[in-house]
Amino acid sequence: MAKFITIGERLSTTAPAVNKAFLARDPEPILARAKQQLEAGATYLDVNIGPAEGYGEDLMKWAVQLLQSNFDNVPLALDTSNKAAIEAGISVYNRAKGKPIVNSADAAGRIENIDLAAANDAIVIALCNGEGIAADNDERMGYCQMLLERGMEHGMDVNEDMWFDPLFLVIKGMQDKQMDVLNFIGDLTDMGLKTTGGLSNNSNGMPKHIRPIMDSAMVAMAMMKGMTSAIVNPNDLRLMETIKSCDIIRNETLYADSYLEI
Amino acid sequence: MPLNKKLQKFSATVRSVELGTGDKTTTLGGSNTYPFYTFDNPTTNTAKIGIEISDLGLAEEPDCMKEFYAGCETVVDMAKKAVTVEGADFLVLKLIGGDPNGENKSIEELVETAKSVADAVDFPLVVEGCKNVEKDSQLLPKVAEALQGKNVLLMSAKEENYKNIGAAAGLAYDQLLGAESAVDINLAKQLNVLIKQLGVDVGKVVMNVGSAAAGYGFDYCISTLDRVKGAALGQSDDSLLMPIITPVADETWSVKEASASEEDVPEWGSVVERAIDMEITTAVACLSCGSDAVILKHPTSIAAVASMIKALV
Repeated sequence: MAKFITIGERLSTTAPAVNKAFLARDPEPILARAKQQLEAGATYLDVNIGPAEGYGEDLMKWAVQLLQSNFDNVPLALDTSNKAAIEAGISVYNRAKGKPIVNSADAAGRIENIDLAAANDAIVIALCNGEGIAADNDERMGYCQMLLERGMEHGMDVNEDMWFDPLFLVIKGMQDKQMDVLNFIGDLTDMGLKTTGGLSNNSNGMPKHIRPIMDSAMVAMAMMKGMTSAIVNPNDLRLMETIKSCDIIRNETLYADSYLEI
Repeated sequence: MPLNKKLQKFSATVRSVELGTGDKTTTLGGSNTYPFYTFDNPTTNTAKIGIEISDLGLAEEPDCMKEFYAGCETVVDMAKKAVTVEGADFLVLKLIGGDPNGENKSIEELVETAKSVADAVDFPLVVEGCKNVEKDSQLLPKVAEALQGKNVLLMSAKEENYKNIGAAAGLAYDQLLGAESAVDINLAKQLNVLIKQLGVDVGKVVMNVGSAAAGYGFDYCISTLDRVKGAALGQSDDSLLMPIITPVADETWSVKEASASEEDVPEWGSVVERAIDMEITTAVACLSCGSDAVILKHPTSIAAVASMIKALV
């Protein structure tokens, strides 16, 4: 295994300030958020431009070049349902610090994003769901197999370049399903597969002061199950400290008294 | 069935640190395999050997060293002779005389000695302090200042005095800095982190992660070397990718196997041979477990270790 990989989630059109900056091609708010995330220890940055119909290609190219030229070719996850925009982003992407991540494919309408990743030697986040949320782990595993087969058909290194997302579920409302998700991560780990996912889904709807606590507990339990990566808010200090501590316990990095500072 | 060779490739490489200036430089580190695993990747840089002398001259040296340096009247004379030894890549001057519990020489006197040696020989130079934490934290910054422009390695900054020595060697006078910990992998990493946080260029840091003579708690020493190298390469740990230098002679010449007289233990045979064997054995084990450089004393040991390095890469 290796050190846990964090993908910073704060460059997303769901944040009004980011959305506005993307639309206006205003670099400052984008660079400021990117800097905060990288200084907090993010490995990858997610670039979520939304569907961006009609202007996605131009916008993704602009965002990729802006971020990579300012932050030493920072590796990026290209996050949009707009396939042409992802391809445009990859066309200007510098791989010096890591392959681009296609975010994301699923076992339904977005399965072709696996083909896209394979054709462009990219990593793909493969969501283990079809239409709607899987009812149980048998169903999740069925989707996983479909995704795996698709990757293999297209010649992907499925153990390295397909990162499977079990889909974290909201605790408020789906509390009884949480151990299923964690056990599924364990199953994927046993198959030698890499895993990632939008961690903070689990704490959706909880009070602001609770979320870092719940997210930290969830990431620790997921890392115990072998999880290799997550899409997170790297500026959540408690969460990042938990991840660093778990990496020490998993013996992925050598302990030193200042381990939280590096 | 044909042998299917599986190569062990690491994405990290131990940093190359250049010691000395001009034509006479030597490079420590630079490998990206376990020691001598040339079958995994051809080694771009080989392990290096330092030859040590001290400011005390020949006073406390064993007879065999007095013979080798016969005719040398001063430390400078010894330095000139030492740098001619076949297989030696750099010179190590130990300022033992500074020890407050020993000769307690003044800092001025020791700096003068260091300067006269550095001026007399055109050879990569390492300067070691007297091992007293307080004295070294005063002494080594002064040496760093006096030898500006020579790109010398100062040994060593420890947890207790890394700020003084690190600031002088690494920040003010642009020398190389030795970071010393005693068989403690976590402290080895921690010290490197602290030195980096001080603002020192990590590309100018060399580690001494502890040493011992073979048979004297040596398993701790080599397991530390092995684990540091393993974590540095296997985990691409930037805080551990410094080359490792191991002072071997310091440890081996004082143990009884190397020093007990032939009158006292006739059954052990020649004391010179024993001392040299001890030095070679320890050095070879250190190099095969992760040291990028060793510091030795006797020309015969140096020749033997140098020929081993040459034969293996």
